[in-house]
Amino acid sequence: MRNRRIEEHPVLGSLRNRKAVSFTFDGKTCEGREGDTIASALLAHGIRQLRVHEESGRPRGIYCNIGHCFECRVTVDGKAGVRACMTEIREGMAVESGKVLPSPLNSSVFEADEMPRTYAEFAGKQKGDNKKEAPDA
Amino acid sequence: MRDVVIIGAGPAGLSAAIACREWDLSVLIIDEFPKPGGRLLGQLHQEPDGEWWNGIKEAGKLLNHATELGADIRCGVSAHHIEKADNGFKVHTDAGVFDAEQLLIATGAAESAAPIPGWTLPGVMSIGAAQVMTNVHRVRVGERGIVVGVNVLSAAIARELDLAGTELHSMVLPAKNPVTKHYGDPGEVMDGLARIAHMAPSRILRFGSILARAGWVRRLAVRLYPKRGVKVWGIPVHIRKAALKINGRDRVESVTVCNIDPAGKPIEGSERTIPVDFVCIAGGLYPLAELAAVAGCPFRYIEELGGHVPVHNERMETPIDGLYVAGNITGIESAKVAAAQGRLAGLSIVRHRAKDKAGLGQRIDEAMRHVTAIREQATIQFHPEVDKGRSKMENIFKEYRKAT
Amino acid sequence: MIICRCEEVTLEDIRDTFHTYKCSAREVKLRTRAGMGYCGGRTCRPAVDAVLEEVTGEKPGDDLPLKVQPPVRPVSLSVLGGDGDHA
Ligand SMILES: Cc1cc2nc3c(=O)[nH]c(=O)nc-3n(C[C@H](O)[C@H](O)[C@H](O)COP(=O)(O)OP(=O)(O)OC[C@H]3O[C@@H](n4cnc5c(N)ncnc54)[C@H](O)[C@@H]3O)c2cc1C
Ligand code: FES
Repeated sequence: MRNRRIEEHPVLGSLRNRKAVSFTFDGKTCEGREGDTIASALLAHGIRQLRVHEESGRPRGIYCNIGHCFECRVTVDGKAGVRACMTEIREGMAVESGKVLPSPLNSSVFEADEMPRTYAEFAGKQKGDNKKEAPDA
Repeated sequence: MRDVVIIGAGPAGLSAAIACREWDLSVLIIDEFPKPGGRLLGQLHQEPDGEWWNGIKEAGKLLNHATELGADIRCGVSAHHIEKADNGFKVHTDAGVFDAEQLLIATGAAESAAPIPGWTLPGVMSIGAAQVMTNVHRVRVGERGIVVGVNVLSAAIARELDLAGTELHSMVLPAKNPVTKHYGDPGEVMDGLARIAHMAPSRILRFGSILARAGWVRRLAVRLYPKRGVKVWGIPVHIRKAALKINGRDRVESVTVCNIDPAGKPIEGSERTIPVDFVCIAGGLYPLAELAAVAGCPFRYIEELGGHVPVHNERMETPIDGLYVAGNITGIESAKVAAAQGRLAGLSIVRHRAKDKAGLGQRIDEAMRHVTAIREQATIQFHPEVDKGRSKMENIFKEYRKAT
Repeated sequence: MIICRCEEVTLEDIRDTFHTYKCSAREVKLRTRAGMGYCGGRTCRPAVDAVLEEVTGEKPGDDLPLKVQPPVRPVSLSVLGGDGDHA
């Protein structure tokens, strides 16, 4: 893959010698430059996928790159929900991609097409206004 | 307790800080982005005289000035709530609570989405994301891409991508759906192009721009729009093609594009699949004003200003005592206007503290005239009737004051 | 087609919810959770509003839709409970 780093720019000039910083992403060592965000350092390596949607498992990467959409959230040194586009890399930082979460609504109690979409529906179903009996009820 | 807390270290926030420090108020600026400068950092345009507007340099100048004067600037700090306290405000952030006697919210703008099927795939990003990645982080967003959405901002950023050696296949419209009904309408987009025609070395766009006021000419330009597109800085711009969907399994692999009629309706059988590894979506900008809302500031919806805007007067004061707004939170305009508004807000804050200081009233009048003058000279205008929006707001503020 | 990315609410979900419940724009949002996910609607609010305007016929009002509630950024409980800096 071609180097994605823009070393020389006709107006903005050369990147000169920005110091290398290494960190890990899902256990693999990556190298970025001082001043990189997690998102930019990973993209320079061609890595776009930062997490999967917590319920559907669909892959996600950066969308807004300026902190508004939270699509880029990752776990950094054990802290979850950190925006990769807003966080600069530090030497030795351990970054983990976002995974599918065991969802309380995802249990076998409901058929997929009857999954509640809101808390009110969820509570309603729990009270038993759904026709199908929960298997363990 | 500080005299002033400023949320947002963009051109508005930094300029306000400079004004406040000139009058010796204690100032803390917080910003959640790791670098100060706001959206100015990503900007790179050529002015009509050929000079480059280099946002990194411009931000550096403001930053140096503010730091020399002793403003306390903290980046990587995110504000999530504002409470009105007895004599000021409590600003809740992920780095603790900051007390301020006076508060300026200068949080800028956010991008509105133009969703098309497949837009959640990695490799699809907003046009602003590509700008920041390219000019601020200096990483290419991909090998070859397509821009979906044709407007002032996307045209400017397309050129920036090209400058940095990122290949763009073309710029097309989003397929029409309930969200993209305006962005996907060739006629409305032609109107928008008229506004950027001075940046585009192309006959048909000028033709469109000069005569765009006559509806029939505009319709003609839309009807006769060349099949191969119009090249703007070497990039084919199409207003008679639309992106139907983005394809790929784990990441963007291609975009399905089709021809559209002058009303934006897809022409059956014209679909084509274009292999790309990134897509930039350009909806538009709207004021990012949520913090003003939680602080209790009233709002009005003003289309010319980009959406919901906190009620404020031409001195950047809101109806809430001690709360000010400046920059794109008050309406979408260029960074120069934001900086001029920031200075004005700073002076209004100073006056609130030191009513007796000689000459302040005159300076505020000058700063107000400066905002208007900068607005008139703006090379980039996001809405053609921003003046109308501004005077609407002025009247709203007066009525609001009368009523309360 | 997904409109709200955080909650993966589609255009069809919004239309179906409106037609099933014949309810207000506000209620459609509460039922589908469109615009009420992790990002607080920052990415999709204008889009959700545009869909709702078309589907329900309600024009955007002057108040910020569904009145923005704090926190405007997701925060961990430790931050909410923290004493913070009162320097
Ligand atoms: C993606 C994007 C690209 C743009 N590109 C251009 C362009 O190419 N040319 C042009 O003329 N205009 C452009 N603009 C318009 C731009 O808004 C103005 O030019 C100008 O930067 C506005 O200045 P400002 O000070 O009002 O806000 P900004 O420059 O946006 O600064 C606001 C700052 O507030 C911070 N902030 C926001 N919310 C919080 C919070 N809750 N806590 C802490 N900090 C917060 C942000 O991180 C940001 O740094 C762009 C806008 C966007 C959103
Ligand atoms: S990409 Fe949107 S918050 Fe990081």
